[in-house]
Amino acid sequence: MIQTKDLYVRFSDGSGIRYDDLCFENGQSCAMIGASGCGKSTFLNLLAGVLSPTEGCVEIDGENASAWSQRRRDAYRIRHIGFIFQDFKLLEAMTVADNINLLRLEGVDTSGMDDLLDRLGILRLKKRRVQRLSGGEKQRVAIARALIKRPSVILADEPTGNLNFETGEAVVRQLIENAGGGTLIAVTHDDRLVPRFDRAIDMNAVAHFCEAEEVKRHA
Amino acid sequence: MLRFALKHMATRRAKLMMTALSVVITAAVALLAYNISTQVSEGIVNTAAKFDIIIGPSGSATQLAMNTMFFTDKPLGTIPYDLVEELNASGLVSAAIPFSMGDSYNAAPVVGTDARLLEGKALKRGEMFDAPMEAVVGWAVASQYGLQPGDSLVTTHGLSSDGAAHAESPLTVTGVLARTDTAYDNAVFTPVSTIWALHEHGHEHGEDGHDEHDDHDDHEADEHDEHGHAGEGSICAVLVRSTGFDAYSKLMSAYGSRSEYLIINPNTVLREVMDNVDLSRRIVYLLCGVILVMNLFVVSVIALLSLYDARREIALMRLIGISMGRINRLYLIQNALTGAIAMALALGLSRLCLLAMRGFVAGMGIVLNAWRVYPKEWLILLAVFLLSVAPTLIATARMAGRDSVDGRS
Repeated sequence: MIQTKDLYVRFSDGSGIRYDDLCFENGQSCAMIGASGCGKSTFLNLLAGVLSPTEGCVEIDGENASAWSQRRRDAYRIRHIGFIFQDFKLLEAMTVADNINLLRLEGVDTSGMDDLLDRLGILRLKKRRVQRLSGGEKQRVAIARALIKRPSVILADEPTGNLNFETGEAVVRQLIENAGGGTLIAVTHDDRLVPRFDRAIDMNAVAHFCEAEEVKRHA
Repeated sequence: MLRFALKHMATRRAKLMMTALSVVITAAVALLAYNISTQVSEGIVNTAAKFDIIIGPSGSATQLAMNTMFFTDKPLGTIPYDLVEELNASGLVSAAIPFSMGDSYNAAPVVGTDARLLEGKALKRGEMFDAPMEAVVGWAVASQYGLQPGDSLVTTHGLSSDGAAHAESPLTVTGVLARTDTAYDNAVFTPVSTIWALHEHGHEHGEDGHDEHDDHDDHEADEHDEHGHAGEGSICAVLVRSTGFDAYSKLMSAYGSRSEYLIINPNTVLREVMDNVDLSRRIVYLLCGVILVMNLFVVSVIALLSLYDARREIALMRLIGISMGRINRLYLIQNALTGAIAMALALGLSRLCLLAMRGFVAGMGIVLNAWRVYPKEWLILLAVFLLSVAPTLIATARMAGRDSVDGRS
C-alpha cells in the first residue's frame, strides 16, 4: 500500500504544491486527471522517490520511504517501480534493446524482452535506434522498459499521450494486465480511458498550488 | 557493464574521437618536447668529458669541439702527426689520440684514430681494427647497411654521400660497436693510417687524371687543405687525457701560446653548447606550453559539451533507478578506455616523431633512441589523462546525492 501524508513540495522559484493525503491499495489501478500544470507529474515523482518532499512523506507498506537513503530509494525504484515518463526518458542514440538492457546494470533480468516487445508490437524495432522511432513507438519502448522487471508499482505519466484512442485504450489494457496484481497509477488527459481504471482522482481538487508570496506569508 | 559501456561509447564516437585526438596531440607534444630535449642533453654529456684537452689547428673552438666530440662540422684543417708523438713523449699525458676526419660512408663520417678512442665502448660483434684498411662501424651504420665483420665498405671523399668513391680501396669491417645512443653509433672508425693511405692513393689517381676524382680536382685539392683531409703525417686534432691538473695546466700554457694551434678544454666548450641548448630547450618548452594550453582549452570545451550530454544521460539513468555508483563506474570505464587509447596513441605518435627527427638530430651528432621512455614521460601521460577525464568525473561525483529531478514537471 502506498500512502501520502501532508505532502508539500517547494520549487526553486519559491512556489509550492500541497497535496491532500491519498492512499493507493495494492493491486488497484488509478487514473489521475487534471488540468495541465496542476501537479500530477510532480506527484508521481514524489511517489517514485525521484523528488524529495519539502514536508510530509510517502509511506510504502507502512514505512516512511521519504526518509530512506538515496541508495535505498534507488534500489526500491529499480526493483519495484516501473516508471513510464511523459517524455519517455530514453537514450536516443542507443537501440531499443540497449535501453531495456540498461536495467541489467542493476541486475534486472531482461530475458523476457522479446516476448514483451512482441506483445507491445515493437519486436521488429528491437535493434533500431530510439532516435529513429515515432512518438508512439518510443512510448511503447518506455512502457516495455517499465514492465520488463514486473514491478509491484507502475507509475505512468501520460502513457497514451502520443497514441490515438484505440491504440491508447489497448496500451492501458496491456498496462492493467501486465500490472499483474501490482498497483497502477496513471496520469491521463483522456477522460474516455478513465472507466478502464478501478478508481479516478481529480488532481485539481487534491493538489493545491501556492505562489511564492503566499508561501512566504504562511511561513 | 563493459559491454554496455562499449555500446554507449559507440553512440558518442564522434565526440570521443575529438576528445581523444586533442588528448593525443597534447600528450604527444609534451612527450616529444621532454624526450628530445633530455636525449639531446644526455647525448652531449655522455659523448664529451672523456678528454680534458683537445688540440687542433687555430680556428673556432666550438667547431673543433663539435668536430671531435660529435663528428659533425668540418675539421678546421690539419696539424702534424708529430704532435701526437711529442705529447706522448712529454710525460704530461696518459693518452694522446690522433683524430682525423674528412671521408664518409653513406654520409656517416669515417674517423681516423687509434683503438684508444673506442676504449669503454663494447663491441657487439667482431674485434677492434688492428691494421690499415680495417674498420669498426657504429651500431646505427651497421644496422642501416647490414654490415657484419668481414664485409667491405667503400668510403667516399668528403662528408656527403655524393663525393668521389675510394672504390679501389675498400675497408674491411672487423667489428661492430654495441649501441651507445651517441654520435659513435653513426660513424666508422679506422686507423689514422687508413686515411693517409686512401688519400695518398686518391692523389696519385688524381694526378693521373683517369678516375672519378677528375671532376673535382681543383675544387677538392683546395678542400683537402682547408677542411682537414689529412695527408700522410697530418691529422685534424689530438684528443688528450692529461695525467693530472698540474700536467693539464702546463699543457694549456705550453700549447695555448702557440699560434698555429687551438687548445681547448672540451668541458668548457660543452658548457657553452649546453647553455645554448638550454636556451633552445626553454624556447621549445615555451612553444610546447602554448600548444598544450591551446589543446587543453579544446579538450575542456569538448569535455564541457560531453558533460552537458552526460548530465542529461545521468539524470535519465538516475530517474529509472540506476545507482550513482553504477553510473560512475560506467563513465569511469568509458573515460579510462578513451584515455588509455589516447595515451597509447600519444606514446606511439611521439615515438614516430622521434624516428622522423632522428636524421635531423643525427646531423648534430646526437643519436636519438626513439624507443626510450623516461619515467617522467609516464607522469606526463598520467597528468594529461587526469586533466582530460577530470571534468566528467567531477560532474558525475557532484550529481551524486542530488534528487533525480528538480522542480515541477
